Amino acid sequence: MIEIQQLHKRFGHVTAVNGLSFTASDGAITGLLGANGAGKTTALGMICGLLAPDSGAVSVGGASSGRDRRSLIGALLDHQGLYPRLTARENIAYFGELQGLSRPALGRRVRELVSALGLDELADRRVEGFSRGERLKVALGRALVHAPQHLVLDEPTNGLDVASIHSLRGLLRRLREEGRCVVFSSHVLDQVAALCDSVVIMARGRLVARGSVEALCTQAGAATLEDAFMALTSREA
Amino acid sequence: MRTCITVARKELHDHLRDIRSLGSTVLYALMGPVVVGVVSLSPAASGPRGSYILFSMASVFVLVAAFTGGMNVAMDVTAGERERRSLVPLLLNRASWQEILVGKWIAVSIFAVGGLTVTLAGFALVLAKDAPEPPAAPAPELFAWMSLGLLPLAFMGAALQLLIATRCRSTKEAQSWLMVAVFVPMVAGMGIVFFPGWTDRWWMIMPIVGQQVMIAGSLTGNGVSLLAGLTLAGTSAACTIAALLAGSVGLNQDDVLAD
Repeated sequence: MIEIQQLHKRFGHVTAVNGLSFTASDGAITGLLGANGAGKTTALGMICGLLAPDSGAVSVGGASSGRDRRSLIGALLDHQGLYPRLTARENIAYFGELQGLSRPALGRRVRELVSALGLDELADRRVEGFSRGERLKVALGRALVHAPQHLVLDEPTNGLDVASIHSLRGLLRRLREEGRCVVFSSHVLDQVAALCDSVVIMARGRLVARGSVEALCTQAGAATLEDAFMALTSREA
Repeated sequence: MRTCITVARKELHDHLRDIRSLGSTVLYALMGPVVVGVVSLSPAASGPRGSYILFSMASVFVLVAAFTGGMNVAMDVTAGERERRSLVPLLLNRASWQEILVGKWIAVSIFAVGGLTVTLAGFALVLAKDAPEPPAAPAPELFAWMSLGLLPLAFMGAALQLLIATRCRSTKEAQSWLMVAVFVPMVAGMGIVFFPGWTDRWWMIMPIVGQQVMIAGSLTGNGVSLLAGLTLAGTSAACTIAALLAGSVGLNQDDVLAD
């Protein structure tokens, strides 16, 4: 479970996150919705232990220190850079070693992931020249290599084709069924409506609303999540 | 330490596949021996005075080689990580930036020592064949002095290059700064050649300048004391540690996520 309470973060004079609190449960997919600049990436950076909040608290599976949180989270933020001269398998294995996996466990885990992500034919090719979808799969493998209980994804479907999005959705559903806690940000409302058990809507660094898709629609008096999102965020503006 | 070794091994593995970078490193490493070899063919390079000029030139090129051998790798493992957006995933591991940086430093140092070895091998061939007079010290002694002077210099150069390149957002920016930084050993080396008495009192506490004095001294027979050599190695090691510490605390993670 991921719990955040009263998170604040400023960059110079800009307040990126302003008193954000929410909980993301195990065995559920929590969507973080917001327009560009709403503070989603900053919030995810603080959850992952990459950014230090100015105030507030983050707990991931009971761990509060940044280093402990990083070992309990698999994260795929907007930065999905891979090492082009390494193969897909080597890219994934490197991060497994950094997460402290032993050699036998690492070999087993990389084989599992290569198979689960449909990378069998690509695994021993250098990643230079991979398509965006193929690169995303390798980056996902890298994030999942230590079998984290928590997965944080920042707009993972950006630029992906339909088949890759479909494959990613299937993976996220499998992770939910395994009881993992998944948080992902997006501004593609259809995806959020199709996948998420719970939605957190942000605007200008603040929490605007949270709940299931149905609850948000009811709260806003709207028929669709898109209408609910527009109604709730325009109130904040 | 396990994390440092993991990072170092990955960087070695990765950069040994970068044929273009390796090729340019080897060319840089051989530039000095080729230039000195060509100059040694000139009639002006004959006699004791000619030997002095050739050995002085060689020592400047050797100093520069300690910095150029790892330069491409230093750029790629820091500014390059930012540019290809792989730095954030790296920082999202449980490994600390300090451990990661030390691992990268080990890898850059190994490339720096490799480049230096190519340069020294080139000079050994050129000077053995063409120098009007052989180096004053016997080969094993010369090798010991070179090691004492040059290994700490290569390690320090690697740390300084990482310190500079961690502040850069792209390899192009890092390249601009590191190319300027290479002039430091060159200028220091030339200063000693043109003003030999300049550093009489304090050379042994001054990295780069001190190494130039040591190398030139061991080639021309104006040897230095072991204590002075060890002092110089100590100050170079202190500079290395200071550069690594500065590099490890200087990474602004707020800034990295905003890249």
